[in-house]
Amino acid sequence: MKKRLTSFIASVLALILLALSLVSCGGKSAKSNFTVPDGGYDGSAVTLKFYHTMGSNLSTVLGYYIEEFAKLYPNITIEAEQVGGYDDVRNQISNELTAGNEPNIAYCYPDHVALYNLAGAVATLDDLISSKIDITRADGTIEKLGLTDEQIADFIEGYYTEGQQFGDGLMYSMPFSKSTEVLYYNKTFFDEHDLKVPTTWDEMEEVCKKIKEIDPESIPLGYDSEANWFITMCEQYGSDYTSATGDHFLFDNETNRSFIARFRDWYSKGYVTTQTLYGSYTSGLFTASEGIRSYMSIGSSAGATHQRPSKDDQGKYPFEVGIATVPQIDTANPKVISQGPSICIFKKSNPQEVVASWLFVKFLTTSVEFQAEFSMASGYVPVLKSVAENETYAAFVSKADGYDYISALSAKVCLEQEKAYYTSPAFRGSSTARDQVQALLTKCLTMDDGSAEAIKKAFEDAVEECEYNG
Amino acid sequence: MDNKIMTQKDLTEVKRLQLAKKIISKFLVYAFLIIIAIAVLFPFYWMLNSSLKDRAEYELSIPTFFPRNPMFSNYVDAIKAANLGRLFINTMIVGISSTLLSLVVTVLTAFALARLEFKGKNIVFGGMLATMMIPGELFTITNYITVNDFGWINTYKVLIIPFLVSVFYIYLLRQNFLQIPDELYLAAKVDGTSDLKYLWRVMIPLSLPTLISITILKMMGAWNSYVWPRLVANDNMHKLITNGLRSTNLVYSDGTTNFPVQMAAVALVSIPLFLVFIFLRKYIMKGVSRSGIKG
Amino acid sequence: MVYGKNQWKAWLYLSPALILLAVFTVWPIFNTLRMAFLENYGLMSANGGATFSFGIGNFLKVLQYKKFLNCLGNTMLLTVLTVPISTILALLIAVCLNSIKFLNRFLQTVYFLPYVTNSIAIGMVFAAMFNIVGNITSADLSETGNIIVTSGIINNIIEFFGGQPISWINAKSSYAANIAVMVIYIVWNALPFKILVLLGGLQSVNKQYYDAARVDGTSRARIFTRITVPLLSPMIAYVVITGFIGGFKEYSSVVGVFGVNMGPVGDAGRLNTMVGFIYDALENDNQGRASAAALILFVIIFAVTMLNLYVSKKKVKY
Repeated sequence: MKKRLTSFIASVLALILLALSLVSCGGKSAKSNFTVPDGGYDGSAVTLKFYHTMGSNLSTVLGYYIEEFAKLYPNITIEAEQVGGYDDVRNQISNELTAGNEPNIAYCYPDHVALYNLAGAVATLDDLISSKIDITRADGTIEKLGLTDEQIADFIEGYYTEGQQFGDGLMYSMPFSKSTEVLYYNKTFFDEHDLKVPTTWDEMEEVCKKIKEIDPESIPLGYDSEANWFITMCEQYGSDYTSATGDHFLFDNETNRSFIARFRDWYSKGYVTTQTLYGSYTSGLFTASEGIRSYMSIGSSAGATHQRPSKDDQGKYPFEVGIATVPQIDTANPKVISQGPSICIFKKSNPQEVVASWLFVKFLTTSVEFQAEFSMASGYVPVLKSVAENETYAAFVSKADGYDYISALSAKVCLEQEKAYYTSPAFRGSSTARDQVQALLTKCLTMDDGSAEAIKKAFEDAVEECEYNG
Repeated sequence: MDNKIMTQKDLTEVKRLQLAKKIISKFLVYAFLIIIAIAVLFPFYWMLNSSLKDRAEYELSIPTFFPRNPMFSNYVDAIKAANLGRLFINTMIVGISSTLLSLVVTVLTAFALARLEFKGKNIVFGGMLATMMIPGELFTITNYITVNDFGWINTYKVLIIPFLVSVFYIYLLRQNFLQIPDELYLAAKVDGTSDLKYLWRVMIPLSLPTLISITILKMMGAWNSYVWPRLVANDNMHKLITNGLRSTNLVYSDGTTNFPVQMAAVALVSIPLFLVFIFLRKYIMKGVSRSGIKG
Repeated sequence: MVYGKNQWKAWLYLSPALILLAVFTVWPIFNTLRMAFLENYGLMSANGGATFSFGIGNFLKVLQYKKFLNCLGNTMLLTVLTVPISTILALLIAVCLNSIKFLNRFLQTVYFLPYVTNSIAIGMVFAAMFNIVGNITSADLSETGNIIVTSGIINNIIEFFGGQPISWINAKSSYAANIAVMVIYIVWNALPFKILVLLGGLQSVNKQYYDAARVDGTSRARIFTRITVPLLSPMIAYVVITGFIGGFKEYSSVVGVFGVNMGPVGDAGRLNTMVGFIYDALENDNQGRASAAALILFVIIFAVTMLNLYVSKKKVKY
């Protein structure tokens, strides 16, 4: 036994020594931002890998537009690949980056781009966007490599600026298709009891109080995502959350502590719940037709069909769903979160691949037809304002109601609040901040000691945890 | 009751008591086994139950024990999700070849560790155990770079070779081999039987139950693996069934997972395999008892 | 010890395993060691051209983590509780199963089902059993502030027998309740494999021993402790040792019950484990810290395994 132990220790030591000798391995050299090569796209044949998360119905839409693109650029081959969910795309790419096997184009969230940026792998788009080079397409038409002023102005501003949230003001991604949070409410119940749909948080408190008087068993409001709730409140108050530069984690401040204290009070009165606090889907609470239920639900605009109750035996919906903008602090300066995929381009040793990727990305993001069709198929919101004028899309939105065409209703509400979209800064640690404020909110709402000191302590702990991981 | 003389009455009384005791103990044994069986069956049942729900029902606050209107379309969605035929063949190729190769390696290694005497045996065995003590998640990146350097990306090799050796199973089989009395080996040596012959004629038949377990688990592993195949082999020629089934149509438009269809996909993938193994296991066990080997 | 002349044969048999292990296991371990000793090593940053100085900062950073002892404590507690419980239970089941004829095959098949059951499904079952749906504002669930839609199957059973329902995994739950649920989950998960192994071992045991014992009129309990357990001791040792190694790497079971927050609502991270800590570090591109934590974990598992091997050497009869 003793002999075995010593030999074990010896082999472990040997492992350590060997490891130390390997320490001197360096990394690759730093990469610079992308500059457009002279002449732009030279027509050379390139094959581009595009990672996305689309289900089969959306892949069909994409496939059609890939064919359309191939008519304009027959030498550019697009290989679209479905890589599971958003986290799968991130994990796949971060592994592939270590061997230089990353795709050319990928669906992304700002946090993912911040991660890829550590490897300097994402091409900045500013030089491409401002390029005035003319490119002749296979059908004889000519397009500018960059974006025209009209094209830029057509993007919904909050979506477009998401690509610049990385601290250096450079453009790292293009908005692809978006969603936000909206307030779903039980219109039948609201009409019946003559309740006003709340536009501010003060009104929300009043409505909750009234609903509790009408139906004491209910939990008037269900909020799907705690993290979105916290971050949106910061944005609406104009208080600090995070910063992409300098001190990252700024959310421990007086304003934030006070809104948390207020929501704690709401929770104890039974006004509100969230997905994790409730222990099940808040949409399930909202669509319940008997027993304990909620009459308002704040959730993703892309999930409108899941906020609609199932039809009863006679094929009728038990109640009508209304959709509104989420409550605000200042209705003159509304803020709603921007979610949903953007699209980024990876640097490659062959600059033609990057330019070709850009042409494809530009094709998808600036095509009104594609944006319209994709939005109708997915329940997401188009990123271009002019899609609203597209005939098919306008026809779709005009059908909006609280029953069968609830997706159209959701789209309509989203289009009307185009000025309100915000995105939060992305950096190494921004996803940790999201996790931490989520945990912080639920902690402050449920802990036994609700004193100002206890809340202060909880905030300090959350910041400490962020700084440890960040 | 040793040597005392008993009356006939006493004797029947004792017999009756013994019988009662036997029945009660049998009853307890069965009750115990059946309770455990129910506990084990419950999740499996829940998987099937969930696979037949629509989203609204799945998201109900109070879960239902039977789907209100069974959504068999979830299974259709799961089947439509991928090129099942090709994925099935890929998975069979990878599953069977990696299981067979792995069995050979495992048997040889376990045999050397259990029966042969050589210098450094303890270090080899201890070193192998030590490799189990580091979380495997840390290996992924290095192995990815290695297979990329080998040029193995998108080949069958990359799906079969890297995880051929499982210390977990080597150790299991070594323990099983150690159960077999030394005398048999020494007798064989005296008879002049070669090691490999002894291994084939005596050790393997005696360890069949364990070998079957390893086969089943290894095969299941190939059938269920996801992260590694997804990373290293995602072209259509080599994609495995789990990747095909997991990647498409399993996410709602709002980005949340479509659990009912995912459950349907898992059921689709595992149930046929499970049936094959029930059959296989029965067949092999019959073979064992017929050949007259008794443990 | 006397070694045979044909030592090369042993190495020949071992060579396929050793070569593959060297390439796909030992080499990654070297790399893990390298990353552990590079200050703040991050894979993405390394790809971006960042350089890292040599040092033991990663280890210090792991040890300085406020909740390090919490992670370590959870890991150890879960291991120490679940390994003996699952082993004894599996042993009982295997012996019972081996002693019956009727339903034997059927039950063997049933016990195999968990292998084809998705782990997400098992998590969902636990939610149905223990999860309380509703707003909990007080640990005493009978207080009026609580709004409870459903309190889970287990609480229903407790109430049926006149007991007080409790919060197992939700807001206001106690650490003891959380651990109890985790132990049930882990044992449940571990049972099928252990039953399979022990049953395989039992089937390899020479039946003559039993026949002899039966003729002698030895009692059931005595047969179990004097014959079954010693004959099965190599397999029991295997189950215990690999159980400890696996137990120290516990992570996915906590996710299965509590989700990635690794704790009940209101106390995220309460049940975090060592591997959970490693995952967090990997998520944040901190391979250096993850590697350092893995090595610390390695040292602990190594020590425990040595102890296990030492004990088993004394007890196991080959």
